[in-house]
Amino acid sequence: MVPRPILSAGGLFPVRLRSPEVMGTPLADTYLSSVTCQYVRALLELAMEDRFSDLDGWVFAASCDHLRRLADNLLHVAPPNFLHVLDVPHRVGEEAITWLADELRNLCVKMEHQFGVDLSDEALTKAIWRENEVLSRLERIGRLRRDDPPALFGTDFHRLLAAWQVTPPAWFANTLGSLENALDSSTDRPPARARLMVCGSQIDQPRWIEVVESVGTVIVADRFCFGSIPGLEPWPVGVDPIRSMAEWLLVGSACPRMMERFDSRLERIQQVVREYRVDGVVVQSLKFCDLWGIELAALTRALRELGIPVLRLEREYGGGGEGQLRTRVQAFLESMGR
Amino acid sequence: MPVISSLSKAKPHTLRSRAVTGACRVASSASIASLGFRLGPWLSWRSVRRYPWLKVLLRVNELAARLTAGRAGFYQEAVALLLANVTASIVDSVQGALAMPQRTVLHEDLVPPEILRAMGLHPWMAEFLGMVLPMVDPHAVEGYIDEAENQGIPADSCSLPKATLGLTLCGQMPRPRAVVTSNMPCDGGMMQYVLLERELGVPVFRLDVPHDVSSDRAVHYFAGELMRLIRWLERHTSARMDWDRLRAICEERNRAIEAELDLWDLLRARPAPLAAEPVYLTHLMYTVAEPGTPRGTRMFRAMLQYALRNHEAGLGALAEERHRAVLWNPPPMVFIDLFNWAERAHGVAMVMDMLTFHHHPFVDTRTPRSMLEDLARIIMQGPMARHTRGPAENFFGDLFHIAERFSADMIWLAGHVGCKNTQALVGMLRERCRMRRIPLLIIDYDLLDPRAVSPADIQGQVDRFMETVMGESRADFHGTREG
Repeated sequence: MVPRPILSAGGLFPVRLRSPEVMGTPLADTYLSSVTCQYVRALLELAMEDRFSDLDGWVFAASCDHLRRLADNLLHVAPPNFLHVLDVPHRVGEEAITWLADELRNLCVKMEHQFGVDLSDEALTKAIWRENEVLSRLERIGRLRRDDPPALFGTDFHRLLAAWQVTPPAWFANTLGSLENALDSSTDRPPARARLMVCGSQIDQPRWIEVVESVGTVIVADRFCFGSIPGLEPWPVGVDPIRSMAEWLLVGSACPRMMERFDSRLERIQQVVREYRVDGVVVQSLKFCDLWGIELAALTRALRELGIPVLRLEREYGGGGEGQLRTRVQAFLESMGR
Repeated sequence: MPVISSLSKAKPHTLRSRAVTGACRVASSASIASLGFRLGPWLSWRSVRRYPWLKVLLRVNELAARLTAGRAGFYQEAVALLLANVTASIVDSVQGALAMPQRTVLHEDLVPPEILRAMGLHPWMAEFLGMVLPMVDPHAVEGYIDEAENQGIPADSCSLPKATLGLTLCGQMPRPRAVVTSNMPCDGGMMQYVLLERELGVPVFRLDVPHDVSSDRAVHYFAGELMRLIRWLERHTSARMDWDRLRAICEERNRAIEAELDLWDLLRARPAPLAAEPVYLTHLMYTVAEPGTPRGTRMFRAMLQYALRNHEAGLGALAEERHRAVLWNPPPMVFIDLFNWAERAHGVAMVMDMLTFHHHPFVDTRTPRSMLEDLARIIMQGPMARHTRGPAENFFGDLFHIAERFSADMIWLAGHVGCKNTQALVGMLRERCRMRRIPLLIIDYDLLDPRAVSPADIQGQVDRFMETVMGESRADFHGTREG
């Protein structure tokens, strides 16, 4: 929910944090307890090990209880030089957009003061163009997954997405250009056992996708944090870039924190299932994620009522349980007759 | 069971308090009986068959018996009178939901019911049964929790939304005309309404509360949300906003709060002239569930009078007040007897708690706008909302403020395992308590599910804390030390 163009304007470099290498979170558990989202605990663990010391600042969105409490604990145990929590409304509407636009303006003012950068409308518009160039290339690559067989596996695509989140946009745009040309010619794959879509909470570890694909499936579409639907839609370029970004963030978000939008989220999944010729949907949530945990209860029922095969999984952050995951996916494929 | 054994050793009651307690139980029974008359034989019969939880509510006198046992004098009378009135309020609420579904609006517990009542609608709090049933019978909502988990709600979610959802999924939630909810108090609480909406099939309105609730901008935004709610209710129900009625409700609320603030002043005295239920249950019932009613004002004034009498006589609520605790988080519904037991087992008076302590208590009734803005402040600056939605400083600031203001010598945190919001602050809380040298007891338990931690285990946690941290053993005989 934090707009990348603001974080990449004026020579800033946005990094979306992930910590898949964390093996355990004993220090973070002392503060966040063992019933908090593992992704959040993993980030605090690394922060307490001083592994984020090269960051100049942290920008949070008040998107869920766990992330907000991460910000609180971070301020307590490893206070960064700059920490800002963006107050993002939970609904769409004129008042909410105005609220968020004010929040974004406030963030810009604070960042200009802290980092001495230019975050004027002009600078933001330039940053939006730069971001959109990368997004459009990634989106074109993502669309290749509609083909049967797709030009690339979900694992490879998610490696790209993970790299995008931690690479300066200008560098990444060049790399994507050459990759696009190479992919156009590589279509001689055997058909997959099943074309799957993955929905749910944060997956920033392509290895998880790789395990699901290791039993002969291909992940052709995704709707999760760090994923491409709707994450690759271009930012609007308007007269007032901040207001346009605020509107884009609220209207475009597919996170269950947007409390009035379940039906539109369901419709979007149905639409993707049709467009990408999806055979079945894997819905997954990180353990202790209240937003996705409860959303998936409703989503699973709704998708099954629509006749779409659904596999529901609860995941641990940081890997593990690969054998069990393979067995669950294989059983799911068998239940679909594949 | 340890609860029973310690209660049975209580001091004999005085004649007067016995008479008052008995009269209150008769009044409770009469309230319950009146439900049958008000619903009529056909609807009563159908309701009891359709809503099995009614049978649990009918046992409310058991709760009164447990909570008055072992207490004495004005304190006992206060508890008895309060429970008789709470019973009457519950009966009114249930009767409205069962008899007037077309006027009933199911609302989340942090939506101001004053607005619904001013529009002539009947407010029915969605979380109400989940909170009240385990107070009467600790096992009452286990089946509903299981039902929610069987339908895919994660086991680690808070048991309050699970119980509410379970009731709904079992078809045991009376179907209202509409639902009003919000993004409070937590993600789990907010998300349950996705399923609830689909299950009930009625229109749902959602209020949005900003993250940082302290600014004027936030008040303006949320007051706008309340106005949006009124327009929505006018569209989706036949109700119309009556601003004069809202003014009358808010003025009544102000009168009640005036008495409550006077009561708080008396609670600062040592020994505290009242404690526990007369403090938190009065607040919960008459400022959260049923605010702005003459009954609520009467209750606060009655509690104030009882406190005043004890104070003037130099008496405390407890026979011997050894310790003063503030409670953080909601009281344990599965073991609501905790404070009654702890009073005699350890001489601990629970003088103030998170749900009771609030900011911005009065409503400026001059204009519709001023009323909505103050109702917005009450909700946003009130318990839960400001503690779960804002930065951690809201949580710690209030906690240490009340600990100091009410001269508490210990903090009890009801560490409900499903409240991830609070669990994520426990590490910081420990360190801050150490710095301030305030003993901290974290009670590990589940708000509504005694299968996670039983009442006996909760008692054990308190005993161990008192033994190892406070260096005291149990004194179950009205302050007479055993060890």
